[in-house]
Amino acid sequence: MSGLEIRWPDESGERVRAARGRLEIAKRALAAWPLEERLAAVAEVLADWTRADSPWRRELAISFAEASPFSLGTVSEGLDAALRAWDPACLIDCARRELAPVLENDTLRLAEFDCTAVLAGGALPMPTLLSSLLPLIVGSPVLLRESSKDRVTASLLARSLAARDERLARAFEFLNFPSSDEVALTAFLEAPCVVATGTGETLASVSSRLTQQQRFVGYGHRFSIGIVGAAQPADLEHFAHGFALDTARWDQSGCLSPVVIYLLGLSAADQLRFASACSDALEALSQDMPPGTRSSEEMSGTATERAEAEMRVASGRGALFAGQSSTVVLEADSQPRPAPLHRFLRLMPVATIADLGSALSPFRGVLSNAAIAGLSEAESAEVGHLTSRHDVSRITKPGRLQTPPVDWPHDGMPLLTPLCRFVQSD
Amino acid sequence: VEAELVAWMTETPWQFDDARFEALALDLFAIQFSECPPYAALCRSLGRTPENVTQFQRIPPVPAGAFKEFPLRCFPEEQTIHRFRTSGTSSDRRGVLELDTLALYEASLLSSLRALWLTDLTGQKPVMRFLAASPEEAPDSSLSHMFGTLAQAEGGEGSGFDLVCGELRLDDLMRAVKQAQAEDKPLCVAGTSFAFVHFLDGTAGDPEVFWRLPAGSRLMETGGFKGKSREIPREALRKALGQRFGLAESHIANQYGMTELGSQFYDSTLIDPRGPRRKLGPPWTRVRLIDPITSEEVEHGEAGLIVIHDLANSGSVAAIQTADLGRHVEVDDGPAGFDVLGRAKGAEARGCSIAVDVMLEASRRTVSARQAQGPTKSGPVEKRS
Repeated sequence: MSGLEIRWPDESGERVRAARGRLEIAKRALAAWPLEERLAAVAEVLADWTRADSPWRRELAISFAEASPFSLGTVSEGLDAALRAWDPACLIDCARRELAPVLENDTLRLAEFDCTAVLAGGALPMPTLLSSLLPLIVGSPVLLRESSKDRVTASLLARSLAARDERLARAFEFLNFPSSDEVALTAFLEAPCVVATGTGETLASVSSRLTQQQRFVGYGHRFSIGIVGAAQPADLEHFAHGFALDTARWDQSGCLSPVVIYLLGLSAADQLRFASACSDALEALSQDMPPGTRSSEEMSGTATERAEAEMRVASGRGALFAGQSSTVVLEADSQPRPAPLHRFLRLMPVATIADLGSALSPFRGVLSNAAIAGLSEAESAEVGHLTSRHDVSRITKPGRLQTPPVDWPHDGMPLLTPLCRFVQSD
Repeated sequence: VEAELVAWMTETPWQFDDARFEALALDLFAIQFSECPPYAALCRSLGRTPENVTQFQRIPPVPAGAFKEFPLRCFPEEQTIHRFRTSGTSSDRRGVLELDTLALYEASLLSSLRALWLTDLTGQKPVMRFLAASPEEAPDSSLSHMFGTLAQAEGGEGSGFDLVCGELRLDDLMRAVKQAQAEDKPLCVAGTSFAFVHFLDGTAGDPEVFWRLPAGSRLMETGGFKGKSREIPREALRKALGQRFGLAESHIANQYGMTELGSQFYDSTLIDPRGPRRKLGPPWTRVRLIDPITSEEVEHGEAGLIVIHDLANSGSVAAIQTADLGRHVEVDDGPAGFDVLGRAKGAEARGCSIAVDVMLEASRRTVSARQAQGPTKSGPVEKRS
């Protein structure tokens, strides 16, 4: 033994730089590919993931369930529902729509970024898949830093790209390094275009490290809501089932998960009926979609909120449905309260649309999708205006919150144009 | 009951007596059940009333958050002479502890401070500096009141508060340190954790603020960071403070308390420097750790939600379920205690959703103009096991 210790302090930084070097070469082939053909090739990769018998999706479900706290039933159902809602033809239409100035106008051309660095966050596979594929359409190679909670999706995506086209495969690199690795992070964030998903603090921190010349596309943490009106009381159970499915999917941990459902003008009896139906539906869903594992802290969060609800209920305020796998709290007011997630749904009564506006006002900028049901036509229009003023980027129906189409404007942004530049020639 | 409790609190040394605790706890439960309607409603809903509860462990605890929503007092509102409010770490609504007397509250806090923090300095009138706002500046802060009461009862000349209008003013502290060093007399420093972090950050690199306090000096930090400073793990904070003040870590104690409680718990290291660091409390308190799913007590060694039975809470509710996780710590030769493992955070965001307080953080930004809506009709409880 010589006792000699070799240290390589910036190993991750070197890996980032090496990947950037490989992507630089790959970019030439990617950019030389006509846009329409590139788009078609990416759409084919997407089809490989979304078709009914997709082996990639099947493999992802098994691997991801093993590596994550979610149950296999929840992962399989969640992936099937979300990915099968992504229609490759819709992606092509969306790209043609957004890139029409380039496709239909000889004086404009696309100036693709040399590299797009994608900083994946959270632990759901869908955002990682989409944010990796989109830059390829506009001709920018992708360097993905995996989320610490998902070390499965990127490698499968790389294999699926390789199976479809070598040029796409070479234009996609992924790696992981801890956030504390300053050397690697600095090298990573030198990319001319950076896409990040994370908390407001994470996004602010990333943004503060970039220069004005770099493009930054940030997707923040948000939550979704439901709104149920009194126009179709006979359908309350049906609506409840839809919302229960939205809540059970991914154990309520994505930005498309409903955290609170506002009950607009429902009678006390209907409020209670709806709450009971939500609880029944959530418990029934747990048969095929068992809840995932939870930490002591997470279980304690639920216990604390249940205990507080119990106290309110004992004094005649609201109702509590404490099931084996879920909690539904019918509140007596619409005050903001903590969201412990893990299938913990709050129902909050509001008498009028103006009251709904007041209840939503604290959440401007952190709302994602809204599912509405049981509203008259006039109410729907008014609620649509109201929610869009609060930055809701999609309005849908119960049961569809977690399955947006592939062209859903995430956080209100177009899919592709933020990822590229246009150049005009007179 | 209060007279018996005050008598117990003034006994030295402390007498740990299970039968005495149980009898007083059950008496207090009967009073609180009778005088505090929201608590009585909870107990009835759980089917636990003074008629059928015969052990203190069966007394229903209220969640600490209930102090934000209900007036949990056992006397008419007009008899309230003091209100302590929580700092509002998780919502705009602040919890309120209403008191019709300060006698029991102050007897409890002084007794615990003397036994578990001041120890051999009790009656010695050491100089005390507090990195916290004074009671005059923060009259609804239970911590400021505690420090003020301590300073009045046990503090020597030169004691005082070093957080003024939200600003840390260190001149008096530096003077007290120099004087303590010159006279070789112990100095006591106490404050909030975030104030100590500001102290460390603000004086980093200043060679004059790298002290060696005289033997017997001690420090106490308490409370969380509450978004008022960067967060430091407790062990790292202790280490940094030990280096800066020149104190052995045994003489740096953390206090575990909350506005809703009349009693506090202290690290064991000042009375048992060789044993494992654990929280110890006075004989009129009991700590239970419960399973968050079953509400049954956890096995020793397992983590559970901390439930505190504090007889000093005679005017509100004595049994409180905190949102903190803890673990029992047994020792061979010394009093058993518990470890605080951290706050029940609720769900960590697995995807990109928003966990626990984030909804409320968002509301805090804009909620000021909004009034809470009045209650609507409510439905009955339905619980499933």
